This record gives sequence, structure tokens and C-alpha cells, in this order.
Amino acid sequence: MSIKLKALLKSPWVFHLSTGSCNNCDIEILDCLTPRFDIERFGMLLVGSIKHADVLLITGSGNRKSMERAKRLYEQIPKPCLVVAVGECALSRGMFIHSYNCPVPIDKVIPVDVYIPGCPPKPEAIIAGVVKLIEKVKKDTMKK
Amino acid sequence: MKREEILYNLRKIFKDDVIEVVDRSPKRVYIEIKHESLVKISSYIFKDLKARFNTASGVDMRNHMEILYHFLIEDINLLISLRVKLQKPKLEIDSLVPVFEGANWIEREMHEILGINFKGHPDLKRLLLPDDWPDGVYPLRRDYKEWDKNAIRDRGV
Repeated sequence: MSIKLKALLKSPWVFHLSTGSCNNCDIEILDCLTPRFDIERFGMLLVGSIKHADVLLITGSGNRKSMERAKRLYEQIPKPCLVVAVGECALSRGMFIHSYNCPVPIDKVIPVDVYIPGCPPKPEAIIAGVVKLIEKVKKDTMKK
Repeated sequence: MKREEILYNLRKIFKDDVIEVVDRSPKRVYIEIKHESLVKISSYIFKDLKARFNTASGVDMRNHMEILYHFLIEDINLLISLRVKLQKPKLEIDSLVPVFEGANWIEREMHEILGINFKGHPDLKRLLLPDDWPDGVYPLRRDYKEWDKNAIRDRGV
């Protein structure tokens, strides 16, 4: 395993981006950081700048204006990186699928590694999703 | 001024402009007015009755376009909604920005989303829609049709 990937999986720092969600997924993500769920025991930390991050956590249905910004953020994140879509809106736009402002789902704009469904997903689901992603990346690199 | 007094005065002063007064509840009154007399009635409510301009809301009612201007008189907790009906082909109304600045952005939003033209607005440009949105397409109108060829409207399953 390369040193880069090892460092990425040991403590994935997370940047949280909301592309026009109802804030319910964002509240659940903040719940993960509280002592009850304490996602920091997996080395995950919410960072304020995309340039410090390893994981891009996206919530929301991705409207026309915010997807431009999401694209720009994806270009700035240090590679290798992982992208996690949280919530029904980020997966398939949920009830906003026919909205004039949400033309394409997020995974058609930037590559998404793991999808966490739910409206909103429970903090347990978010933790399980991210842990599964780390395991998967570890396994894939072991094979190589 | 008491609530009854305010409604009585409104009916008396603007008896040619007010079409209908709907007294919904102790806190809520809808007043339907002619669209020519909007500026004069709303400046009376804003300046003389010391009301606060909450917001305005536009609705496409199929046959006509409707704008509701919500004013709150805080002392007596009364929400007055001025209802204006605009007939479909000619969607024009006087702007309220010369009277109070708070109407500026909501009029810009109604202009881009419903296509209502506000006469006398100082800067009627786009507020929320993206820059590549085509001109003359108004998303919250009833007859809005999908214009984006690249839009995907199925869930992919």
C-alpha cells in the first residue's frame, strides 16, 4: 500500500458540502461528530477547507448554481480522494427530481464512491457507509 | 388605532380602490385592490399606519396572476395582505421600491420566476436563477415546459 493511501485511510479528513439540502442530512452529519457517535475514533475530522480534506461529503439535491461550485471543489481536493453522497437527494434528487433547478444527479457531475441512502440517514448508517468504503479501498489495494 | 378603526378607515379612504375585504381571523385580513392603486394604498399602510412590510408572494392562478403584499402592524398583531390580480397577457404593475427599499429583491425574484414586469424598479435584473438560464422562460408559471436537453428525469433504475 502506498504511503499516500495509507495516510488517507488511517485518518480520513472530511469536508462537508451541502448543495442545497433541507439541512436534515447536515444535522445528522453533525450528530456523528458529537460524543454519542464520536466519529473521531475512526480518525475522521471535519475540516474547514477543501485543501485539507481527503473525503468530500456531499448532501443535497445539487441545483444548477451549487453544482458549479461542487465541480470546482472537486478539482481542488488533493487526490487520491473519496466522494461520499449522503441522503436521498444526493443519490437521485429524491422529491426534487422534476424540479427545474435540479437537472442532473450529483454522480453524473462528479464520481461518487459510496452512496448512503435515507431521508435523512441515521448517524449509524453514515458511519457504517464510511467504514465500508474504507474497508473496500483497503481490500482493493491489498489485491494489487 | 384599533383593528376595527383601521379597517373602517381603509374602506372609507379608498372606497373606489378596494374591491373586497376578507376578514379571515383576528390576526389576518385580505384586501383585494385594483392594481392601479397599489402604490397609494401600500404607502398609506406603510407610512401612516406604521406597518412593516413582510414580503410579497406571487401565484400563477391559471387565468390570472396574483400578487399578495403582506404587511404586519405589530402593535395590534394584524397581518394585512393586499391582493392584486393581474390579467394574463399584460403582467405589469407599479414597483413599490420608491416607497420602501424592502420590496427590491422580492420584486426581482418575482420578475425572474413569474415574469411580472415591475414599472419603476431601479434595477430589474436576475436574483437567484443561474446565468445560463434562457430569457423568457419562467419556471413557476403553469405553462412551464422543460427546456434543458441535458436534464435527466429518471432515477436510473
